[in-house]
This record gives sequence, structure tokens and C-alpha cells, in this order.
Amino acid sequence: MTKKRYWMSLFMVLSLLGALLAGCGGSKTDSAGGNDKPQNTNQQTDNNKQGDEQNTSDTGTPKDGGTFTFSSPSDIVSINPIFVSDTASGDAELFAFAKIYDLDRAGNLVVEPWSLAESLPDISEDGKTYTVKLKSTPKWSDGQPVTVDDIIFTINTITNPEVGAPGISEYDKVDKLEKIDDQTVKITLKDVYAPFGYTLNSTIAPAHILKDVDPKELKNSKFGVDPAQTVSNGPWKWTEWKQKQYLTFEADSNYWGEVKPHIGKVIYKVYADQNTEVQALLKGDVDSVQSVPLTQLDAVKNQKGITISNKPGASYEFISFNFDPNNFKDKFIPFASQKARQAIAHALNRQGMVDNVLKGTGILMNAPFLPGSWADPGDKAVNYAYDVEAAKKLLAEDGWVANSKDGILEKDGKRFSFELQYNAGNSRREQISAIAQQNLKEVGIELIPKAIDFSAWVEQNLNPGKYETVLLGWSLSNPDPNQESIFSSHYFPEAGQNMGWYKNEKLDQLWIDGYSTVDQNERKAIYADAANELSTDLPYIFMYQYGTPQAIGPKVKFPEEDGPEPTRAYGYFYHIIKWWVE
Amino acid sequence: MTEYLVRRLLQSVLVLFLITLVAFGLIHAAPGGPTQMMLSPGLSPEALKVQAHNLGLDQPIHIQYFRWLGNMLQGDLGHTFKNNMPVGDILWPTVGNTLVLMGVAWLLSLIIAIPWGIYNSTSTYGISDQIASFVSYVGFAMPAFWFGILLQELFALKLNWLPLSDMWAMGQEGNIGNLILHLLMPVTVLSLGFLAAYVKYSRSSMLEVLDQDYIRTARAKGVAERKVIFRHALRNALIPIITILGLDLPILVGGAALTERVFNWPGMGRLFIEMAVAREYSVLMAITMVTAVMVIIGNLVADVLYAVVDPRVQLGRKGGKAA
Repeated sequence: MTKKRYWMSLFMVLSLLGALLAGCGGSKTDSAGGNDKPQNTNQQTDNNKQGDEQNTSDTGTPKDGGTFTFSSPSDIVSINPIFVSDTASGDAELFAFAKIYDLDRAGNLVVEPWSLAESLPDISEDGKTYTVKLKSTPKWSDGQPVTVDDIIFTINTITNPEVGAPGISEYDKVDKLEKIDDQTVKITLKDVYAPFGYTLNSTIAPAHILKDVDPKELKNSKFGVDPAQTVSNGPWKWTEWKQKQYLTFEADSNYWGEVKPHIGKVIYKVYADQNTEVQALLKGDVDSVQSVPLTQLDAVKNQKGITISNKPGASYEFISFNFDPNNFKDKFIPFASQKARQAIAHALNRQGMVDNVLKGTGILMNAPFLPGSWADPGDKAVNYAYDVEAAKKLLAEDGWVANSKDGILEKDGKRFSFELQYNAGNSRREQISAIAQQNLKEVGIELIPKAIDFSAWVEQNLNPGKYETVLLGWSLSNPDPNQESIFSSHYFPEAGQNMGWYKNEKLDQLWIDGYSTVDQNERKAIYADAANELSTDLPYIFMYQYGTPQAIGPKVKFPEEDGPEPTRAYGYFYHIIKWWVE
Repeated sequence: MTEYLVRRLLQSVLVLFLITLVAFGLIHAAPGGPTQMMLSPGLSPEALKVQAHNLGLDQPIHIQYFRWLGNMLQGDLGHTFKNNMPVGDILWPTVGNTLVLMGVAWLLSLIIAIPWGIYNSTSTYGISDQIASFVSYVGFAMPAFWFGILLQELFALKLNWLPLSDMWAMGQEGNIGNLILHLLMPVTVLSLGFLAAYVKYSRSSMLEVLDQDYIRTARAKGVAERKVIFRHALRNALIPIITILGLDLPILVGGAALTERVFNWPGMGRLFIEMAVAREYSVLMAITMVTAVMVIIGNLVADVLYAVVDPRVQLGRKGGKAA
């Protein structure tokens, strides 16, 4: 009997392993991968703080010192600016590293007292050359000055394929870098590329520390993973990292900026469980939770002294249609015609989804440009109201007839039925796909939801573009409307993220036109055309802009104009240098 | 005995080798990989390919396995893909933390469960037995994480008596009093689970012995009841209990993933789930090894103890035991 149990136990160990790997749902309820350096669009926000009670904002006198603790669902990987690609590392990086340029609430490139640059980039007549001038004051925490050598080193390193930096494609438009003097660098692009300015909204790595490291070995350098060996240039110095538990940052007494940080110590605490994270906020163990699960929102709302900011963030969710016949049974694509896709758009009760599932933390979208941004196309994008009759009419026009047995539509003997994939463990998508299934059933379309483990999904379905439809979201950390790599046929798998194999030559050209001029008014008109084309042809059904409500505890104070800005990437710590704790 | 141990040890090495082979295959066969956790517009596929190449993930699987095995035999458990951290640096602290949590919970439940079960066997269906039954049902039926959340709501949030989570308060690392405060809730949750099982085991095991002819004979001869229980019955009743304890030993390192999650305990179970999601193959392999070693040791301990408490069992015979 013991023998049997012995083998059983060994078998159990392996089974557990197998089970975990086969179907452990990474419960990242964020965008696609929670990755944070997409080359993408954003917007400017309407500055009215809808749904945003800023009772934490304070006109009192800021106090210096004190500790600000925030929670994170995952630990960092590295805060080396060359390698940061995940949200958790980005959260830590922003305390220790200054950016060349910063962004204002409206998503414009600006020079702040804490930016490294002295003035906005000077763009040449032909739009190809950006001259960047740094302040003379910035210093690394080891006392060395920050110079354009650091910028040149960072760009050259990221673009070196041997390094394996995740941001390699951000700088692939750069043709050459010329150092004018220690504070001035000329960056010349191969072609005009309007979004490039936003690429400079980034941190840089110290050349004097890393320049002698073999590019292949950079990933193994202790810089960015060992606080003692990480030289930084931001308001706080990284002082401790207890893996999987917490990181600490302390205000750098030698910080070069004119505006000094008020908060003396920042603690970044890792919580494995979202429920525990929220409880920690209620108990006062942490002062900020950046993404309160929607299921807990009401519990947190009713607590005295806790501020909720639930304006949607810089992410949008969509259903992507696939246009590669090889992904379908008998190579038959049920939504091949524009009318069928428009019918699906009418059949989905998107407003109901926002009200019931997102609990109001969402805004309907009809194009991939965030509402309120400068590229927001407004009425130029077609809005598909929830209208079952209109959907049925379109389907009838497209030649679909209800089958007498189960009422599912048929055409040429083929059923209108398809699979909708989403990532297991994402409760929002689970609920949305169930509602979509219900909505479509009402018009005679069979939708089969399927949950897949995130990592497996990316490898087997998304990257190679093998699916019928998917429910996914993009996080836009770059406030530029250019989304060529998602919709252009030049970016079919695996060269880019046009995973649905969507081909539209008119749009392909519009994306190119859109970034080939630096005149914002011209660009606005181009993106309005693109929005009209996208919302008519519907490679995606644009669902809504969504976000995760942030909750801030009673200790934390900030001037009203320096409060969180959900629509900016990392906007939950917007202007944190001006925050203080009571 | 020595010969037996040596043979068992050699067997164990072979079993471990097989486990690494199967686990390595399983882990690598699972779809997705460490470079697949990123998806974003504009992400270049070349960058991912270069990364996979730098990590050696584009090599055939048997080459990867032998490289891993070679390193492991030299005591190198490898590094994480994402930030090149030595696996040992991440793993060993969590093993220690889990042992503290599970060890305390396990010992506590044994100290309570075995005497209680034995007492209940002498007065079946009495008040104490009824209470034990109830506790067992609750222990079996209530999911650990749910019970954990209830305790947190009550003792940490409502009453504010206990810390909500973690192993130490920040800056209190090493302070035993602080550790005990942090242990109270998770240990309660875990002990209840163990207790439920061990009370039942020890009760039924004792009942079985008390039903034997020689106990009846002893009682008929007028031996005092205490003497019957402790001198005649207990030793035999302990045999199956000890076996089960040995086989349960691996629980000490791997049995508390959910509880660790809820109480934010920096342990191995939590690490395992995290690393499975991140596809950190080296860490997963190391955790599998630790668990497998515990299973093997647990079995060995069970067999040896079995021989200690049961003179009929002789180690070293072919087939290990004749029970």
C-alpha cells in the first residue's frame, strides 16, 4: 500500500506541474500582456474630472518626509531603462529615473523641472531631424553629469539586436546620431515619422557605467537588479529589493532638480492576491492600489477617507475578426462580408456591458483613437447603436436564413457560428464574452467563447494569427494615434500585430500619410478618414475604452493640478514628486 | 539496515533522474514560453527571436535538458530568463519561509489531533467525538483560502488585533514575537485542514486495534484500561499514522499555495504558481526537484519508522517490507 502511495505522490507532483502549465490562468486583467512600451496612440483628455472625486487633493502646506506605500500584483524584473518592458518594472523605474521629456495631461510632450531636457526638440524643416538639448544640471546618483552620451549610448544599445532590448522597434526609424556638445544631440530619421517625439518621452541608462559591458552580457549585468549597483538620476534612489516582497526608494539628498520630492520614502509592496491587496488598503498597510478589482469597487467606495479615481485609462478592448480562410472549417468565413460584421456590431449591447460589467469605468469607442484625444474622430466614426432589428435586417440582406431546427442562421448550407477566444482568468473578458454570446444568439448567430492560458494564447493563436475571433485589449502608452502595426497589411504575422490578416489598401496608405507629416491639423484629418474607414469596414469591433479604478488612502495629499491622470501610462503616479503624506 | 538504506538511496537517485526527465519534458511541452509573455503593438518579432536565441531556447530540447542536468549536477540550478537571477537566490528563502509556516501548522495539528483522536476512540460518539466530527467536516469542507479571508476580515480589519498579511512587519525581520503574530491566522487555516484528517486517522486506527483479540484478552484478564490503551494498543495504532505522516511530509513544502497567496506569505507554493505563469523553466525545475526529494525522504522516513514501531517488519528483505 505504501509503495502505491509513493508512486501516487510522485505522480501527483508531476500532474500538478502539468496541470499548472497547461491551464494556469495568469490573471493579469490588464491589456494584452500588460506590456507597457507599445508604439501607439493616445489622446488628450478632457480635463473635467468625471467620476473622479479628488477629495485627497489639498491646498494645505506640503510636508517633507514620511512614507508612501503602494501595492503591485507582481514583482519587478529589472529597472534598467534598456530592458524595462513590463508594468511592474515601469512602476519602479519612474521613481528612480528621469525622462528626457515628460507629458502633460493632454498627452503633449513638455519640459518639466524634473525632465532632463532644457527645451522641446527642435524639428527641422523636412521633419527628419530632431535636435535635443539637455539641461546642464542633471546628475547621476554617483555625481557624474548626465550628458547626450547617455542618450546616444541608450539608443545605440536598444537598437543593437545582440542586446535583446524589448524597445528595439521604437528606434528603428533612427538613421544617425550626432553629438554637437555634451548637452546637444542631433537625431536624424530615415523618413519623416511624426510619432518620434513621443519616443523621447523615455528614460536613459548611464553610459559611464555600462559602456564597457559586452552587449550580449548586458542582460546579465547587475545594473537594474541590484540596488547597490544601480546608478539613477531621478528624485528617489533605489535602496532595497527583497524579491517577491518589496522594494524601497529613498529621496535622493543630492537630487539635481529644482523641484525636490516631498515624500521621504517609497515602499513598493508585492501582493500575490488582489483581494489581500484591497484589504491592505482598507487596513492602512498601503496607501495606493492602482487597480481595484471591479468586484470590490463598492466595498472600497464606502470607506471613509479613500479616494477612488475611476476614469478609464489608456486602453481599449475589441473583438478582432480573422480574415485568413485557413483558420476556418471548410475555409468558410461567416463574417466575410462587411454587412455581416456591421450586423454583429449592432447586435452587441456595448453600453450594457459598460454599465453592468465595467460598472461605469468605461466609455464606448467606435475607432481606435481614444475619446477626448486630439485624434478623436467624433462623428466621423460610425457608431453602431444596440439595435437587434437593424442587425437582423443586415443579415437578411447578406443572404442569411434561420435554420428551422435551432434558429441559427445559415447560408449555402453553412452555419453562422464562430469561436471567440480570450485569456483564462480575466473575469472581465469572461463576462463580456458571455454577454456577447447571448446578444448574438438573439439575432441567430452562434458564438462559442473559449478561455486559453495567456502565454499559450500568445504563442499559438495571437502571434501566428490563428483564430476565428478574439477578445483582446491594447494598452496605449504612447499618446500618438498611429496604429499602423495593428491594421496595416505590411504588418501581417509575424512581422507585426495585424493578427487578423486584415488587408485594406486605402488604410495602408492612410497610416503612412498619417506619420509622414508633423503638422497636427493635417494628421487629425487623416486619422478622421482612417476612423471612418475602420468603423465602416470593421476589422475590429471597437468595444470601449476601459481602465482600472485606482484607490488612494487618506494619508496621501497632492495639489489638485497634480492628481493622478488615468489616461497617461503610469498616470496613477502623475506628478508624484509634488505629492506628500500626512 | 545500512545495506537497505544504500539501496534505497540508489533507487531514489534513479527516480529523481526520471522525474527531472518527465518534468523537463512537461514544462517545455506546455504551450507558451518565457518570451511569449509580451504582446504589444509594434513589438518586433526579431527582438523576440534574438531573445530566445540568447536564452538558448531555440536549441533542441534534449540539448537543453542535458545542459540543465550538467549544470545541476555541478550545483548550478540556473538563472531566471527575465533578469538572470540565480535560481537559488529566489528559491531557498521561499523554501525556508514555507517550512516555517507549514512546520508550525503541521506540528500543532499533530499535537492536538493524535491525542484527541485516541481519546475519542475510547469514548465513541461522546461529546468530544461529536465536536471532532464537526471540526473535521468544517476542515474538509471549507476551502482554505475562504476561511483565510474570513479570518482576515474579522481579526485584521474589524478588530485590528492581528496583522493582515506577510511574514514580518517591515523592519521587524528576525523578531520572533512579530513572526508569531503573523503566523497566527495562516497557521489556524492550515492546521484546521490537517487536524480534520489526522483526528479521523488516529481515531479509526485506534478503534481497529481496540477491536483485536489480544486487547479483548487483556481486558478479560483485568488489565487496567489505561494500561490497555497505552501499553498494548497505542504502539500498534501508531503504525498506520506514522506511515501517513511520512507520506504527507512533502506537504511541508508544497501544500499551501493558496493560503500563501491569501496571506501574502513569501513561500514556495506562491512562487511556483507565479513562475508557472511566467514560464521560468529553471525555477520550476528546481521547485519540482525540492518537492520530489521531499517525497522520497518522506517515504524513506515512513518505512524506517515503520520498522521501528513494528518489530514484525524487517528492512532489507527483498521488496523492502513484509507487512
